[in-house]
Amino acid sequence: MASNEVLLHVEHLSQHFGSLKAVNDVSFDVMKGEVFGLVGESGCGKTTTGRSIIKLYDITGGDIYYKGIRIGAGLLAYKQAIAQAKATYKAKVEELKAQNPVDQAALAACRREMQDTIAEQKAKIKAAKHDQECCDKEYSAKLIAQLKEKYQPLFESASEDELPALKRDYKNALRVAKKTKLVTQIQMIFQDPIASLDPRMTVREIIAEGLIIQGERDKEKINEKVYEVLEMVGLVREHASRYPHEFSGGQRQRIGVARAIIMKPELIIADEPVSALDVSIQAQVINLLNELRDQLGLTIIFIAHDLSVVKYFSDRIGVMYFGKMVELAPSDELFLNPLHPYTRSLLSAIPLPDPAYEKERKRIVYNPLVEHDYSTDQPTMREVKPGHFVYCNEAEYQRYLDVLK
Amino acid sequence: MDTKLTVKNLTISFRTSNGKVQAVRGIDFDLHRGETLAIVGESGSGKSVTSRAIMGILAGNAIVEGGEIIYDGKDLLKIPEEEFHRLRGDKIAMIFQDPMSSLNPIIKIGRQLTEAMVLKGKTRQKESRTAFNSYLKLLNQSMISAIANGDEALAAVITQKCKDFNSFEYKHLELEGAYNLAHEAASEALVDILDIMFKIEKKAIEKDFRFVLKSIARASKAAVHRYVVHQKAEELCAAADQIKLLADEGQKNGDDYSALHTLLGGMKVILEEAVAFTMPNFFAMGYYLTFAQEPLPEMSVEELNVFLRRYLDDHFMLDFIADAKRGLIFSAERSYEEKKQAIEFLSQYLPLFEQETLDKRASYEAFKSMAKEVEETIDRLEIVKDSLSYTFASGLKSEIDKYFAAIVKNKKALKAHAKQQAKYDRLTAAGKEPDWKVTPPATTDLELVKYNIRRQIERLVAHYEESLAQRDSRDFDAETVAVIDYLKANASGVVAKVTKRMAKERAIKLMEEVGIPEPRKRYNQYPYEFSGGMRQRIVIAIALAANPDILICDEPTTALDVTIQSQILELINKLKEERNLSIIFITHDLGVVANMADRIAVMYAGKIVEYGTSEDIFYRSAHPYTWALLSSMPDLDTDEKLDAIPGTPPNMIYPPKGDAFAARNKYAMEIDFEMQPPMFQISDTHYAATWLLHPDAPKVEPPKVITDRIARMKAKRGGAPDGE
Repeated sequence: MASNEVLLHVEHLSQHFGSLKAVNDVSFDVMKGEVFGLVGESGCGKTTTGRSIIKLYDITGGDIYYKGIRIGAGLLAYKQAIAQAKATYKAKVEELKAQNPVDQAALAACRREMQDTIAEQKAKIKAAKHDQECCDKEYSAKLIAQLKEKYQPLFESASEDELPALKRDYKNALRVAKKTKLVTQIQMIFQDPIASLDPRMTVREIIAEGLIIQGERDKEKINEKVYEVLEMVGLVREHASRYPHEFSGGQRQRIGVARAIIMKPELIIADEPVSALDVSIQAQVINLLNELRDQLGLTIIFIAHDLSVVKYFSDRIGVMYFGKMVELAPSDELFLNPLHPYTRSLLSAIPLPDPAYEKERKRIVYNPLVEHDYSTDQPTMREVKPGHFVYCNEAEYQRYLDVLK
Repeated sequence: MDTKLTVKNLTISFRTSNGKVQAVRGIDFDLHRGETLAIVGESGSGKSVTSRAIMGILAGNAIVEGGEIIYDGKDLLKIPEEEFHRLRGDKIAMIFQDPMSSLNPIIKIGRQLTEAMVLKGKTRQKESRTAFNSYLKLLNQSMISAIANGDEALAAVITQKCKDFNSFEYKHLELEGAYNLAHEAASEALVDILDIMFKIEKKAIEKDFRFVLKSIARASKAAVHRYVVHQKAEELCAAADQIKLLADEGQKNGDDYSALHTLLGGMKVILEEAVAFTMPNFFAMGYYLTFAQEPLPEMSVEELNVFLRRYLDDHFMLDFIADAKRGLIFSAERSYEEKKQAIEFLSQYLPLFEQETLDKRASYEAFKSMAKEVEETIDRLEIVKDSLSYTFASGLKSEIDKYFAAIVKNKKALKAHAKQQAKYDRLTAAGKEPDWKVTPPATTDLELVKYNIRRQIERLVAHYEESLAQRDSRDFDAETVAVIDYLKANASGVVAKVTKRMAKERAIKLMEEVGIPEPRKRYNQYPYEFSGGMRQRIVIAIALAANPDILICDEPTTALDVTIQSQILELINKLKEERNLSIIFITHDLGVVANMADRIAVMYAGKIVEYGTSEDIFYRSAHPYTWALLSSMPDLDTDEKLDAIPGTPPNMIYPPKGDAFAARNKYAMEIDFEMQPPMFQISDTHYAATWLLHPDAPKVEPPKVITDRIARMKAKRGGAPDGE
């Protein structure tokens, strides 16, 4: 199902909340049509990653490219580069001043070098800020241009009678295009189906809200679309006029899914969509997501802590630990050859429906201080096998290669 | 096996504005000592309602329609709230799903942990005192009636004996109280000393260092007592006085506390000796000091204990025990005679409650005379209380009250129903289609209530017959010893004060036990400073604070992620082993249960549909609902489409006529929609309620997903046996 086209490209993503580094230097690609699983214990930054991608937060560092367009850019790296340049300059000046006589020419060169770097970085910051704020504007400008191109010949060829209707259409489409954002192609499904639906809105209002914000005013059209997605997620038209509390947990989660897919997204970020549901309902929602994925060609980032579900649902899985991505591999490969000790510890904690096995099962405890020695050699993300990345240093890399042989 | 808790035919409904929701519909199970019983089911299956009924914390609109929950001979559904106070938290504790909402966010963890200990400690002290006084008085009366036979002089002698017992018992309390304080101070000081010494070694002295030193000095001095720190008392006091000096010096010398460390080391040795010391027999010593009028002989504690014991036995105890035994036998015999009469007396009222409609006046009069009769039969000197007799009156009254209240309520409910029905008919006759349904009347089954009334009486009669049959096999010697122990225990209960400091030490020990690192620091933090897993550990520690018999875990890991879930489950398992707890584990996730449960009950729509050992359920499950649960969860090797259970559980305002699961069941047969299946027994331990087990039913194999998985798991284990 997955193609080779990169839909989402995340590069050195960092999200810091004050001194807390919720996500720290995470990079990955999501291919078009695949399900990308993110696992890890609570507090490891998987939800923050999802929310950063959909621009619920302004990211601290790194870049996010959606279909090749930069939709999110952080300034951390540039700021660091400026600080670095200043520091080197200071050190060099100290060094030069210590000499006698002081080499004024070298001093000036140094100064110029620093100023150049700063100027360069500042330009990058400006570009990043521009992208961060204007990616949607540019996108809608492009849409408007397309619309104009499309309607111009129509206007010319249209007769007197057709013109008013055509103009109305054009106006409507123009309004929608003006308010369309690129980010609406990414939609989110939230964990708690009770908390994520406004109890004072009917299901119709909840599902149509996105369309209305986007500028759609045609009630007929909205209703039609609402009914269409309701049927798609296995609910019926009559449900549209009810309130969320009248539904069971599984049905509420279906409403959440309907709200996401009405925007015709290409990428869905599903943040623990089944964790709050009963086991029997979980299966219904997972099956639904699977069907929609086939039907609409969706790409899904699936965030969860239940590894059995992630394994079942995802094509590739990224394992996160304290803001870092520690292992990234196709899901079968990850479960067959877990290399990073944290992944192994995580896998050892999965309960299975087999008492005899369960009584024997020993949980592997992961203690990063014991497992790794990063005092001399810093770890990076390395590819141990095509498609299988592990966060490790050189010594560990060699060891993992041996394990794989 | 030792059964701790029995639930019989429990039926609970909730009165709501839409009608009566039948949450639990006649479930039966029992819980043995030291086992884990898992109750598995979807939300709304009644599993939480069951656990809340056991804890006595049902919502206000709940109606217990019938059934029994027997714990320790008491029916928890019948006992009054004051009595439940003594059980709840103390004997039966509960862990809730969401650790954040079950902790108070604005109170420090330490206070929340010790709150119950201090409160319960105070009430226990009070209770012990009243129990001691009243029991001794009763024993005195019984002894007089047994021995004196109207002889005033003899009666006076006996009363004097009891008075003596009372007075030296209080001397005992005084001695033991003083000892307890000193001993507690010694262990407190020791814990702090070890802590400080460790910190000095690690060079990790904290800000509150001075404060701890002060408390060490105070506690060390408080530890001076004849039987705690005696010979080396002066040495210890001198050392305690020096602490501050050495600490000052250490600070001057640039935080070099080696001198202080040596000093503390010396104190440690003294205190360790003291803490390990044997406790003298204060009970006997109390007698000696009160009546011997001589100073205690100088000898080691072990010798002293032997000496005192003999002295007490020779001068008082043997004589007193003999008298007490006669008193006990007298009281028991009287009770047996009363019971014999009561059997006939109670049985004569049975027909009264079989009538079509009960007469209010006659019923209450019958109740009054029966309650009086039962009151007479109670042997007040029995230590193991005959709870059935004690709770008879309140139980019977509540049933009779329920009957007469139900008559009025039923009338009202039927009236409202008729009104609604009429409106509905009117609307449909006018050709409209109302978007609401007529709610069925929320009536109470009067026959069931009448049956419950009779059952109360019959059960007591049966109980009396049983106890009469066992009359000859009673061992009064053992019982007398138990009585003396009971009095002693209650007396010690009076002095066993739980101070805030003691509670703190105990709480810190508990926090260590549940695996919270740095408990001393954590003790003073607020819930928000803890992670989810740690918070759940705190909740477990609070539940364990009172040392309960039964622990009810209501989805304790649902809000946690895999690694933390695994840790918490391991912790619960460990505590179960160590404390021999009986656990009721409620969850919707069968995967979690495989690790924990000895036995599993699968619930659906308020009924238990399958019941068996963990192996029975996972390897040989027989009910389609269990199959559906098992096959709807993916495991690590699942590739094919998940077998989701279609639809939702039935609306329990209108429970289905037949099997509640029939509408969602692939294997449903016609009879499933007509009649509810009975429990079929599959093996000694394994039961399931499905018509598929009927001999005439077609043979159905469990879904392939499950059989495949079992085979795969077996292969993975290397063909290890799966309990077959």
